Amino acid sequence: MSSVQTTTLAPPISAQAVSSRRQRTGPGAVSRWFGRAIPWILPAAILAAWQVAVSYKWIPPILLPAPSRVLNSALDMFAEGLLLTDFFTSLKIVLHGFAWGAVLGLGLGAYAGLSRTVERVLGPTLDSIRQVPPLALIPFVILWAGVGDLAKLIVISKAVFFPIFLNTLQGIRSIQREHIEVGRVLRLSRWQLVRHIYLPGALPSILVGIRYGAGLSWALVVAAELISGHAGLGYLIQRSQDLLFTDQMFVAIIIIASFGLLLDRSLKALERHLLRWKPGFIN
Amino acid sequence: MSVPAATASTSTASPAVSHRQRTRALNVRQVSKSFHVNDEPLHVLDDISFTVNPGEFVSILGASGCGKSTLLRLIVGLDDDYEGEIALGDDVVRGTSLDRGVVFQDHRLLPWLTVEENVGLGLKNAKLTKDERAKRVREHLALVGLNGFEKVFPYQLSGGMAQRVAIARGLVNRPELLLLDEPLGALDAITRIHLQEELLRIWRTEHLTTILVTHDVEEAIYLSDRIVILNTRPGRIKRIVTVPLSRPRDRLSHAFADIKREVLEEMAIANPGAPARVAYAEDI
Repeated sequence: MSSVQTTTLAPPISAQAVSSRRQRTGPGAVSRWFGRAIPWILPAAILAAWQVAVSYKWIPPILLPAPSRVLNSALDMFAEGLLLTDFFTSLKIVLHGFAWGAVLGLGLGAYAGLSRTVERVLGPTLDSIRQVPPLALIPFVILWAGVGDLAKLIVISKAVFFPIFLNTLQGIRSIQREHIEVGRVLRLSRWQLVRHIYLPGALPSILVGIRYGAGLSWALVVAAELISGHAGLGYLIQRSQDLLFTDQMFVAIIIIASFGLLLDRSLKALERHLLRWKPGFIN
Repeated sequence: MSVPAATASTSTASPAVSHRQRTRALNVRQVSKSFHVNDEPLHVLDDISFTVNPGEFVSILGASGCGKSTLLRLIVGLDDDYEGEIALGDDVVRGTSLDRGVVFQDHRLLPWLTVEENVGLGLKNAKLTKDERAKRVREHLALVGLNGFEKVFPYQLSGGMAQRVAIARGLVNRPELLLLDEPLGALDAITRIHLQEELLRIWRTEHLTTILVTHDVEEAIYLSDRIVILNTRPGRIKRIVTVPLSRPRDRLSHAFADIKREVLEEMAIANPGAPARVAYAEDI
């Protein structure tokens, strides 16, 4: 059997190699440049149409202020400091509410995922609470918790809790039995099993819940501020409507949209990093 | 992530990684096992008894469905629900133990851990310092010819390489007994032959007692000192064949073919419905 002495192990294709090859396969510089521009075409077109519509006075400025006017208002509002105050007021509540909802969702989701009994105890109650839309809770929560931040915190936490709870539970349940057996063969303790097998195995599912919950919480804070509040981006929109400051309303809307996008993209990037072990996930 | 373009030479003499003080015989005594399918008992194993001596390489050979993997699971300790007794030396097998290293057919590497983390997972509860642990992982990756691949994730490995990592993980705790559940079953023919050589080399250098479950007659003869041939439904020991050939063995020799014929005919009789006599080219 000496004929087969050595074997050459081909280096595996690394994530980096895959992505750099993708970039190099473009037919040329022009198409690569065009490729990069693609996502910007539609926003630019909307902006142009907006400017044209206002310039030709198709739509009265009170309903649709010019983009330049909106930009000026944004700069003014920023200079006054109010814009940042409103933004950070909203952001603080979102982060707070999200943190509570996420920690509870993750903790209880993992607990219920690991124990059928816990799932059976929590299941019916949580499922019925889940059916109540977050906004429908607002009046009731305000009655109990007042119009302050606490009410919004509760509503956001509740909204964030469910997608994370359910996805964590689902993720843990979908762990392959074979992987758990590996843990048993290697004599891992209960905690080591959770730490090295259950949680990482459930992570793809958990991250779906977190991304969904994050988007939900950002949308909800604005909604909650529209209904009650004395500060925040939702309140800013409410006030602009009362005073017919349409330009300010647009500033608020654009900030909400941009930050929402930033949030989603950041979480996607985080997900790509955390799930870099998943074949095919890089793309 | 950078992946070194390593050319691993697999048959270079790697130093032995472990120096075991004790090796004990494995005794399987009158083991029977049945599953319950729709409240009907299904006998999988019936009155299995054999001994594996310290340092011996024994294969458990049988057609699929004969219960050979079930038997190995009992020896691993993943299933305690059976009759009879399995003991390593004087210690009755109950639950899994780091004394018994396991390699499964599907490599079962955890996809979220790198190669070195996968191997290191077996050392989580070892009383070693961080440095000793890292050294142990390095040594075992070298043993299976995979140094340079420490930071790679399992999906980036070929089937053969993944199985090498699984072998390193099975050995990293320096078990007394290595249990292999068709570890080469899913690999292509060339890779399989390579890894058979690897297994032999590791078995020799590490002085391991090894039990291999396989349905590949040639693999069993090539590797083993003795072959336990199992009947199907319920799994019973048909015969235990001793392979008297000295190593390295020549798969194409007459002596090898004679044993192969003997084993195949045992298996054919053991499997009703299979041809009673195995046809060979020389018959025609």
